[in-house]
Amino acid sequence: MNRTEFMFDGQPVESLYERIGERFKVVVGEKTFELQPYGDNLYLVQFNGKKLTAAVAESRGVYYIDIDSVLLEVREPSQDSIAGGAADVGAADKIFAPMPGKIVKIMAEVGGDVREKQALVIVEAMKMENPVLARAKGKVKAIHFAVGDQVDTESPIIELELEEG
Amino acid sequence: MEKLFNKILVANRSEIAVRVMNACRALGIPSVAVYSEADVNAKHRWFADEAVFIGPPAPGHSYLDIEKIIDAAKQTGCDAIHPGYGFLAENSLFPGRCAEEGITFIGPSAKSMRLMGNKVESRIKMADAGIPLIPGMKDIGADFASFERAAEKAGYPVMIKAAAGGGGKGMRIVHAPDTLQDAIEAARREAKNAFGDETVYLEKYISNPRHIEFQVLADAHGNCVHVFERECSIQRRHQKIIEETPSVALTDETRARMGADAVRVAKAADYTNAGTVEFLLDEKGNYYFLEMNTRIQVEHPITEMVTGVDLVVEQIRIAAGLPLSGQLLNLTQRGHAIECRIYAEDGENNFMPSTGKVIHYSEPTGPGIRVDSGIMAGSDVTIDYDPIMAKLIVHAPDRSTAITKMIDALNHYKILGVRTSKRFMIDVMSHPDFAAGKTYTNFIEKHMLDRAVDNGTYRELATALATAASVTRARAAASSSGGGPAEQASPWEIIGAWQIGDSIHE
Repeated sequence: MNRTEFMFDGQPVESLYERIGERFKVVVGEKTFELQPYGDNLYLVQFNGKKLTAAVAESRGVYYIDIDSVLLEVREPSQDSIAGGAADVGAADKIFAPMPGKIVKIMAEVGGDVREKQALVIVEAMKMENPVLARAKGKVKAIHFAVGDQVDTESPIIELELEEG
Repeated sequence: MEKLFNKILVANRSEIAVRVMNACRALGIPSVAVYSEADVNAKHRWFADEAVFIGPPAPGHSYLDIEKIIDAAKQTGCDAIHPGYGFLAENSLFPGRCAEEGITFIGPSAKSMRLMGNKVESRIKMADAGIPLIPGMKDIGADFASFERAAEKAGYPVMIKAAAGGGGKGMRIVHAPDTLQDAIEAARREAKNAFGDETVYLEKYISNPRHIEFQVLADAHGNCVHVFERECSIQRRHQKIIEETPSVALTDETRARMGADAVRVAKAADYTNAGTVEFLLDEKGNYYFLEMNTRIQVEHPITEMVTGVDLVVEQIRIAAGLPLSGQLLNLTQRGHAIECRIYAEDGENNFMPSTGKVIHYSEPTGPGIRVDSGIMAGSDVTIDYDPIMAKLIVHAPDRSTAITKMIDALNHYKILGVRTSKRFMIDVMSHPDFAAGKTYTNFIEKHMLDRAVDNGTYRELATALATAASVTRARAAASSSGGGPAEQASPWEIIGAWQIGDSIHE
């Protein structure tokens, strides 16, 4: 069997596979799956006594997967290290807009205390108001935007000084 | 058959534009699409017989620009315009502007639209007509004190609503006096952004209600009928997500009374064309008029599934001056229909809007399954417009079969590259209270907040699928010489870590 490696939730996962005609036999850990293609990107699989319908398509090293409406992402190892860097530890001190939009309210002041999950900013996008929350406890170090400003997802709106523990 | 119109311009985008174009095709009438820069490759742009470019993505410079729409209609020789829902559908200046150019507006008169568009005026009018209303402000609140007094009088909890409102925007529930001011401010801001009018009013909040609406059709000859109810109680942040018909909550007697009142509402508004009269139904079977929507509704297909009426075709016939079709005079509800709205929202992450390129798209098929979709493989889902991408509708002999069929159809509906809330809707419909018909408007708050999806279950299977896909891809790459164009990054890949709350009004 051939061997491949992917990343799932930041963890490496190894798979062994062989092709039997159009069908795939894949071994991952203790489990063996037989995947029957039934159209572009589509597979049928019998899993724990249940037929599942799965779709998988790749873009930029990320495999987007739908298994009976559960949406998952599996990455090629090289991709995961790139995405993991920015997303992991340390990012909680910077508050970003989830998507480009307009700031309609700021509920924080420089020097003010912030608790975890406190709503700090409301960004309007797609005609809905979306609250942006603190991911950790701390103090507001800087506010870089004002109400009415357009924000993108690259520049932090607020910076926090995180409290230890 | 003589053509009702020479050519119809569809002043909308996405799934409803495609839906209207299909109705035009059914009547043998050519259709014209309009599209913005963001929609150059959109499905609706290619589903019409002709398409006119109308400008930048911002709706104010394209889909909401009356003059650009009129120009497009004149340029292509259209003698009628269908507005769909949203955008210009309820803009009371639009019908008059169409009339000035000799173009038929497929919808109600500006006068009915103006009356029903103003939630305060329409309440007063309907109270006069003897339609039951929720206790609350008779007028719009001038100052904070008047809101406080009205809230005290109606009793908490109360609801703040936008006078120009709809679609859940500019609405807030207030449980106690100390949060009243914040709620009014937030509702005003949202109302101003969504409708350009920050006027809000207050009324009593009915707990454990159901949202029941009646479809009505009225022609220009004084005929007006209702086409039964739709129950739209499954809502998230006041946005409907799952709708069904018939409602399990209605007895034949209540259905007949509400239907008759819906017709009275339409007549009191001097209404023509298709409209929807919304009611709240409480646990005792009392119902209250909420508002009338003067447009085709997102959820209209479930009515079509159980009655066999094509509501958009009826709209076009009515606009052409024909009387209501004969079939409308003798309607019955046959079986049960459910609709699930497929939004570009992440059901596993507080329904955050999701954007990106659709890298895979395939629809479920089978008897009684209908998909009204505005997207296809390669479509870009952007932040410029409402996040509704498609609607999945099923029809079955009874409710429990319809639920089972819907869950299976959702599982066969594959959209990759943009996140959706399919799994969330399956979990809603799998809940014992849903099966039991205990569908109140607080269903999601009550049952779904602690919900979690365990991705770990599929860890190995997902890896197996990625393996199969990567092998297939490598083989395809080996057998073709060139690579495809680079995919665009979705914001989710770029942003990294951030978090968002579940609700503004906790």
